[in-house]
Amino acid sequence: MTLSPDDDFAAAEFALGTLEPAERATFAARRLREPELDAAIRAWEARLSPLAEATPPIAPPGDFLPAIEARIRAAAAPPAAKDVAALQTRLARWRAAAIGATGIAAALAIGFAAREATRAGAPKEFVAILQKSADSPAFVASVNLDSRELTVRPLAAPPQAGKSYELWIIEPKLGPPRSLGVIDAAAVTRGARLAAYDRATVEDATYAVTVEPEGGSPNGKPSGPPVFVGKLVPVEP
Amino acid sequence: MSSADETPKASEAAAASDDLALLLGRVAARDAAAFAALYRATHAVLYGVVARILTRGDASGEALQEAYVRIWEKAGEFDPAKGSPLGWMATIARNRALDEVRRVRPTSLEEMPEGFEPAAETVDPLAARARSERLVALLACLGHLDADKREAVLLAYYRGFSRDALARRFGAPTATIKTWLRRSLMQLRECLES
Repeated sequence: MTLSPDDDFAAAEFALGTLEPAERATFAARRLREPELDAAIRAWEARLSPLAEATPPIAPPGDFLPAIEARIRAAAAPPAAKDVAALQTRLARWRAAAIGATGIAAALAIGFAAREATRAGAPKEFVAILQKSADSPAFVASVNLDSRELTVRPLAAPPQAGKSYELWIIEPKLGPPRSLGVIDAAAVTRGARLAAYDRATVEDATYAVTVEPEGGSPNGKPSGPPVFVGKLVPVEP
Repeated sequence: MSSADETPKASEAAAASDDLALLLGRVAARDAAAFAALYRATHAVLYGVVARILTRGDASGEALQEAYVRIWEKAGEFDPAKGSPLGWMATIARNRALDEVRRVRPTSLEEMPEGFEPAAETVDPLAARARSERLVALLACLGHLDADKREAVLLAYYRGFSRDALARRFGAPTATIKTWLRRSLMQLRECLES
């Protein structure tokens, strides 16, 4: 076992379920690439699983078996070509349109659908909705994984008098959060700000926005907790 | 442990477990009838797992459905050397429920609504009908933890309490809860492996 003590603890807490949401999401992504971490989590799940087995039963409201069988059949059917075409049309329309809040929900849904339809391909366009909660998206970040270009559009980010919003990339293997620079609350911010990071890091990281003194954090560290966060989802093959 | 007390229940649990393992094997071979039988035999336990964590009926039903789709997909990965079939399935259901309550959204810093106090339900795994040997061993090790720390682990496991929710419950800082949990888990592992 060569896991660091921190990863060892965190694997245990992952299985127990007490990691914070961003930590949990990061760990869920890391275990896909780190077999040792995955094995540690599985070992903890197995250790604790007798408790799950001993859970007093509750009868669910209704019979879910037919719905489950329908989902299994749907998952087994390959996506129809016309569905993929319709998806691409919707994607093009979405990119052309100014993005409103409803567009965000659609973009997210399309992102997930596209990922399902093209799991084997290697998507390069990704978006992250940076938000406080599901109904209050503040920024939408889009990333081209080939060029590492980052574009951040403000949606409903309240202006902060005398303060700036700053974007951070958070990935455990990078150590502390790293700044991606100040982002504008009233205009599109664009640049190859992710050039220093490899593809897997960019894809798996959590993106967070903090409120900083005007011009950005004076010491390269976030001054406070994130006000908006999000993770990337692919929007096209 | 006294074999006179444990044997009947342990053998009952083992027999039920063998049946489920056979069903899972047939599910792995894409047997729809076996899947229906597996659902009938286990859905109330799995619903018990997700409903205690999610509390909302619609979310619980959704998590239950996702869990069974996953069980269908992953049945071939079940390894009897690493645990019981029901424990494996219940863990899948539990992970679906946890993914839902721990989705990345800062609102989950407060996923327990203000003023929400969880019902003072005492989690009592001892009430389970049949106890597998693994459960007996785990309960013995849990018994070595201080009462508060044991309750914290059980609330996290059965009710999906976050560190923040546990901090409110026990009137302790979140950092203290994190230390409790980590120490308790390491102590459990040592005990289980001794």
